Amino acid sequence: MSVLERLEKIREEFDKALEACADARQAEELRVKFLGRKGELTGILRSLAGLSVEEKKQAGQRANKLKEECTEKINAVAVKLRGEQYAKKRKAEDVTLPGVRQRRGTLHPLTLTTARINEIFVSLGFKIAEGPEIDTEFYNFEALNIPLDHPSRDAFDTFYIEGQHLLRSHTSNVQIHLMQGQKPPIQAIMPGRVYRPDAVDASHSFMFHQVEGLVVDEDVKFSDLKGVLTLFCKSMFGEEVKLRFRPHFFPFTEPSAEVDISCFICKGKGCRVCKGNGWLEILGAGMVDPTVFEAVGYDAGKYTGYAFGMGVERIAMLQYGIEDIRLFFENDVRFLRQFN
Amino acid sequence: MKLSFEWLQEYVDLDVSAEELARGLTMSGSEVESITAQGADKIMSFEITSNRPDCLSVTGLAREASAVFDKPLRLPAAKINAKRTHKDHPEVECVIENAALCPRYTARVITAVKVEGSGEYFKDRLTAMGLRPVNNVVDITNYCLMEAGQPLHAFDMDKIRGNRIIVRPAKKGEKITTIDGVERKLEPGMLVIADSERPIAIAGVMGGLDTEVGEGTGNVLLESAYFDPISVRQTARRLGLSSESSYRFERGVDKGMIAKASDRAAEFIAKEAGGKIGKLYDAGGLKAKGARVKFDLQRAEKVLGISLDKKGVKNIFERLGMNVAKAEGGKMTVAVPTFREDLTREIDLIEEVARIHGYDKIPLTLGKMIPQVTRKERSRLVEERLRQVLPALGLNEIMTYSLISESAEERFSAISSRTVQLSNPLSEEQKVLTPQLVDGMLKAISYNINRKNRDLAFFEIGKIYARRGEKGAFLETPALCMALTGALLKNWREGERNADLFDLKGMVEDLFGDLKLGSVFEKKKVDGFTDCATVKIAQEKEASGFLGEAGNELLEAYDIAQPVFIAQLALGRVIEKAGLKDHYHSIPKFPMSTRDISVLCDKDLAAADVHEVITATGEEIVRRVELADVYEGEQIPAGKKSLTYSIEYGIDTRTLTDEEIEAVHSKIKEALVNKFDVAFR
Repeated sequence: MSVLERLEKIREEFDKALEACADARQAEELRVKFLGRKGELTGILRSLAGLSVEEKKQAGQRANKLKEECTEKINAVAVKLRGEQYAKKRKAEDVTLPGVRQRRGTLHPLTLTTARINEIFVSLGFKIAEGPEIDTEFYNFEALNIPLDHPSRDAFDTFYIEGQHLLRSHTSNVQIHLMQGQKPPIQAIMPGRVYRPDAVDASHSFMFHQVEGLVVDEDVKFSDLKGVLTLFCKSMFGEEVKLRFRPHFFPFTEPSAEVDISCFICKGKGCRVCKGNGWLEILGAGMVDPTVFEAVGYDAGKYTGYAFGMGVERIAMLQYGIEDIRLFFENDVRFLRQFN
Repeated sequence: MKLSFEWLQEYVDLDVSAEELARGLTMSGSEVESITAQGADKIMSFEITSNRPDCLSVTGLAREASAVFDKPLRLPAAKINAKRTHKDHPEVECVIENAALCPRYTARVITAVKVEGSGEYFKDRLTAMGLRPVNNVVDITNYCLMEAGQPLHAFDMDKIRGNRIIVRPAKKGEKITTIDGVERKLEPGMLVIADSERPIAIAGVMGGLDTEVGEGTGNVLLESAYFDPISVRQTARRLGLSSESSYRFERGVDKGMIAKASDRAAEFIAKEAGGKIGKLYDAGGLKAKGARVKFDLQRAEKVLGISLDKKGVKNIFERLGMNVAKAEGGKMTVAVPTFREDLTREIDLIEEVARIHGYDKIPLTLGKMIPQVTRKERSRLVEERLRQVLPALGLNEIMTYSLISESAEERFSAISSRTVQLSNPLSEEQKVLTPQLVDGMLKAISYNINRKNRDLAFFEIGKIYARRGEKGAFLETPALCMALTGALLKNWREGERNADLFDLKGMVEDLFGDLKLGSVFEKKKVDGFTDCATVKIAQEKEASGFLGEAGNELLEAYDIAQPVFIAQLALGRVIEKAGLKDHYHSIPKFPMSTRDISVLCDKDLAAADVHEVITATGEEIVRRVELADVYEGEQIPAGKKSLTYSIEYGIDTRTLTDEEIEAVHSKIKEALVNKFDVAFR
């Protein structure tokens, strides 16, 4: 039998054997038998030694081609067989079973709201400052132009600790600490916890949170206050909200303003949340009263400034649609898990 | 403050509806909270700020409306001709003992009055303003109070003993029954109106029942005075008694209105109750003088960020009842009327200009950028980091009250320091500034378990409060509390597994690791807790806190019937030492080898001690030691346990040979045997 005939015979045998392959292991045996180092095809290639150059070349080419073909065939069959085997071994899953979820934790809605407020002001170039919750009459009242036995104190019922010490009733005490500690310019916000002796109900709490802001420099104007608060409110509540600045009275600012935004729930048409008038009161603000500058030793002729403040609970309640302030401190897990 | 729209229109010519008026006044600082229809009238409810007592009357709001809408005023006035007053009235002696607290007191006798119900006009007006009609004389004093803002009081002249009015501080032990029928103990310092024998009114707050004007009254003494705001406020507060009068005196009434209001009321009383008006006794001599305030147009422009013209500003001042007394260029001297005592400084006038000009007409600008680094402080960065890590570990953030009850505080005396207490707590429940976060945590857990939510994983970052020494400084320091209870894992595939101490400890280790801090745990007893360990930052002397299982007594106190695992950490040192920067360490180029070792030891031997010996003996080629298994049971002798560790060996410069590893591994075994007398399985 010539080499070529032998090659042809091998091809036939191989094809037959391949067809008979039942699993991947048999396919592998077949590979060894025909194509392995001691395989039949390899044997033929080795036996070409006695042939002429021309014959050697021809037989060599044929043998190599056959080897390639066989390798391809066997690979294809092996993949198919492994796939069948794998499919047989695998148990089919009921994909409608629920996914197994990792329970992520959550942050408190007041943390989230404070963080959003902080982030907006930081992006506008404000620093974040903090101050003590336990403070003195001077920082909480006197320096802020709220004298003892004055009706302007009515808005600030206060928990006392001992002597001059009290629990701050607003974060404005931080303004005073800040100004005492440095010369202008100042541009800072002051988030924090405050206390007032209010009996707890759906809209009152003896403990709540505020964020205040203070900017002091030469040439700070009321129009700057309007500009910054407008940017803040649009970033916080949506670009479409409108703002309304109403004259008001705060002992530590003059002129003073209350800032309303158009109700983002009813778009200003009037609803239960805005009590039908289309506006939501969000901020108190004003130009720092010269008396406050005098209390901290700033030159009220040289510097002007503005300050503003807002209640975190109120903003969170409006934004999340929370109707009872007590929910923030009851820590019902069904409440907590709703915020991300 | 309520206002009848109809009444207002008697004093100012308006061509706007009540709603338009409300909008205009709200936008100029007198906020209208509601408008309700009452018959043909509209009742507007105002929030008047404490700096504007002049707006606590119909006249005052008419002046505001006139200024805002630029409409003419028609204010009522009465002038009683002194010559025409009756001369045969009883003489009254008026004495002010404390002129500082009462700089002016006027009294006027009106004889032969017929006290009966008021006419419909007065009744309607008072009802509209939220007052209850009493009788014609009392109603007229109230009408005039509402009209002009000056509180008046009418005494039954015949009940005043000795025809003497003495304005003096109360004496110790004096009492008075006020017209509301309540007997009130007066304290020295409270200003009273007295006759020759006893107090007959609490000055500026409320009259006495004895001298009240009623049906039998024939002669009346009408009081119109000025009382010191602070004194009235203190007295009203101490007595817990606030009235329409005290509310106005506290804020300061118009010094120019005292005699005018008396005239107006007397005229009405003569007309409505048929009385004969006597002369005005006028003691104290307080003069009403409006302030003169300097105003610089340029300064106003600078503060507000708008340009103003002199004519427009002058017009605003005049609409508000002020006069520009002197003007040189933009610098003016402005004469302020007596009813605007809140206007004493240039900035006050700037505000007046702004609010009448309209805040809405002031543009939006952004000031120049203030050059400063806004990087957050370390404490904030660490807390923010914790708030990223803890929810990722599956914990929900809670927020609890910083004020707790004394009894709750006492439960944690073992982990508390000297506490800070309120001197005027609202209730016993909120009396102490909390020195720990565990009480709040257990309350939150109890609250949820009571609502059948039993699987909880919570944390709180809050302040804890203490006092350094009896009279020392107050301390507020940040702290972290974490707690696990109920199932940590619950799903159809793995079933349910309850949280335990090691889940919590793992979380503490995780967050320390996240802050690049080593953590050291030492077994220690903490009152109220079982299986406790202190938590220390590696290389620190003092522990930062503890973790443990809440003891039975604590669980009972909070009505909890399932195990709760709690950790509390002071964050002070954590914040100082935390590493906030991530730094890259090169990944090992050479493979590591792992050897297991099963240590059979006494049950009581602390695993941490075994671990310590392995790391210490292993020197630098031991890269990681991990406890893979803990076994106690049938396959080993009683009183023993088996700890299986996986030890990873390797160095950075090359692959270790088996011989090198074996040498150290044997050394470790030897060290364990020498130290703890252990065997290997």
